[in-house]
Amino acid sequence: MQITGQLTLTVLMGLFLVIIAAWLARIEDWRSYTPLGSGGAAGESGYVSQEKPTGISRWLTTVDHKDIGMLYGAYGVLAFVVGGLMIMVMRVELLDPGMTLISNSFYNSLLTSHGITMLFLFGTPIIAAFANYLVPLLIGADDMAFPRINAIAFWLLPPGALLIWAGFFPLGDIIPAQTAWTLYTPLSTGAGGGNQANAGVDLMILGLHLTGVSATMGSINFIATIITERAEEVTWANLDIFSWTILTQSGLILFAFPLLGSALLMLLLDRNLGTSFFAIEAGGTMLWQHLFWFFGHPEVYILVLPPMGIVSYVLPRFAGRRLFGFKFVVYSTLAIGVLSFGVWAHHMFATGMDPRLRASFMAVSMAIAIPSAVKTFNWITTLWNGKVRLTTPMLFCVGFVSNFILGGVTGVFLASIPVDLVLHDTYYVVGHFHYVVMGAIAFAGFAGLYYWFPMFTGRMYQRRLGKIHFWTWMIGSNITFLAMIVLGYGGMPRRYATYLPKFATFHQLATLGALLMFVGGLVWTYNFVVSWLEGPKVQDGDPWNLRDDGMYTNEWQWFEDRQETAITDGGDEDVVTDGGTEE
Amino acid sequence: MATKVFDRDTLLDLTVNFIPLFILLFFLVGYFVYNPFKLGSTERILQYMLLATPFVLLAILTYLSGKAIASTEKSSPVYMPGAATVDGAEPIEDEHEE
Repeated sequence: MQITGQLTLTVLMGLFLVIIAAWLARIEDWRSYTPLGSGGAAGESGYVSQEKPTGISRWLTTVDHKDIGMLYGAYGVLAFVVGGLMIMVMRVELLDPGMTLISNSFYNSLLTSHGITMLFLFGTPIIAAFANYLVPLLIGADDMAFPRINAIAFWLLPPGALLIWAGFFPLGDIIPAQTAWTLYTPLSTGAGGGNQANAGVDLMILGLHLTGVSATMGSINFIATIITERAEEVTWANLDIFSWTILTQSGLILFAFPLLGSALLMLLLDRNLGTSFFAIEAGGTMLWQHLFWFFGHPEVYILVLPPMGIVSYVLPRFAGRRLFGFKFVVYSTLAIGVLSFGVWAHHMFATGMDPRLRASFMAVSMAIAIPSAVKTFNWITTLWNGKVRLTTPMLFCVGFVSNFILGGVTGVFLASIPVDLVLHDTYYVVGHFHYVVMGAIAFAGFAGLYYWFPMFTGRMYQRRLGKIHFWTWMIGSNITFLAMIVLGYGGMPRRYATYLPKFATFHQLATLGALLMFVGGLVWTYNFVVSWLEGPKVQDGDPWNLRDDGMYTNEWQWFEDRQETAITDGGDEDVVTDGGTEE
Repeated sequence: MATKVFDRDTLLDLTVNFIPLFILLFFLVGYFVYNPFKLGSTERILQYMLLATPFVLLAILTYLSGKAIASTEKSSPVYMPGAATVDGAEPIEDEHEE
């Protein structure tokens, strides 16, 4: 049975390589296929001179930053749905204290995959989606600096996802990883009598490695693009805030992800080739934790900085005034970038590490709270006395600020060693970071999706459904994550598939909130699919009436130019903008 | 105090990063004055390195970014961030927070 499974895998892999080789051989002239690798020469447009191919070949061969942005977006949304369905199964299981619906090992598998899917397959790619589509438009560039590297970076992701989820597919004896997303040793080295020596864990590690390579390639591209491809008028003094956050995030990726890659390779060597990097008598369990969190904490900021950029960019459009303290936000973004590399061991306060080192990590963790708080005050001050229009993207921005305050303040407590020692490994931590990753990061992502929906699709979504989506998510996320905070105070440990009956009420509340978010997710899916196909077409380049407040920006100017040059289809339907009411 | 590039307004903008720098400095001095653990060990050196390294790196990045932004502000027209390539864009007065 095992040999047959291996043979099948080998044959499939061989076939895959033959297809790639055959496809590469069919391309006659690489130069005619792509823009200049150097990003365009004087007097010559960087765009492809021929029309794009149509249909599926367009999407498989594209090097256009907007197409690649759309691919990243589709990929990120798909991963979000998968990760969301995984958590729904887990939350339904947690309605009851015992094991009822699924086995505890399957719960562990879902727990592991939910974390990795949301962080690596949804979080990073959905940010890359916005960055790919918008950064060249915002800085006045023809395309990314390295369009083909851009395409390669994306196409590494689908195989990465397949490898990460491989354990769930019917592939012989391969089982899903149950290591949790942190892959702590010695569990993840496959030591002991458990089942984590299974090839499913190796495949997941390889998939994770691929997504890391993809993110690194993307980050190099963004750094090169923002530094070298800006239009003459776009100087450091008027570079938009979203591009600033992408530049900082790319710097973080450049220093953090290669370290993750190295640590993962060491882990693979320990698992398969008999090395002993993480053996107890060698590096021990602490070595992995240090290596992992030196990547893992910057990863948190890799995920949160661009969403902060989206909120800093979108929120002022509907407050009718420029972002208060723009340069405060820029400098504090850079400060977070540097300090994020000095706080990694606050994830390890309970490991018994030297108390002097712990004290330093606490100090830097306190210091990094300042730049985050500064941004919050800037957003609130921007709203102060502004001409607030409560459109759906604006609601998601305000929801972001609210949830980020809750997630951030609970985090400041965790930065303090004595508090952390009490709350470590409880649901308090889970509640804290879900307020940030779901309540803030995902909210900002959806603010961006709604705000730029008219640009991405040329149509307008249904405003009522957008607002229903927001309110189900806002109420649902607060019910779920607040219940988690309370559970943590009560001493409920995280990662457990079963629990004591005294925790049942708050677990049921958390599931209720999750169900509410599930309903909101269905509304969102329906709204976007139907509006994309049948929504009223946007007739001008200013669907949000930004010109009225003098808030019109580069990417909408590009959109307007495109609208004007496009052939009109004679539609007579007026666009229904999500205007909101002025207050 | 204020030099040509780092005028009063730029320094005011940079205060946002002076605060975390001050917090790091506070703990650097604090752990030096009051330290319940024994002196002279490797861990003690690492303890200071962990505070000093982010301090130095943040100070350098703040200086470089402040210089880049303030000098381009003086040498070229400043448009609303993200709106430099809009048709008919007018440079804005840099009013430094109303």
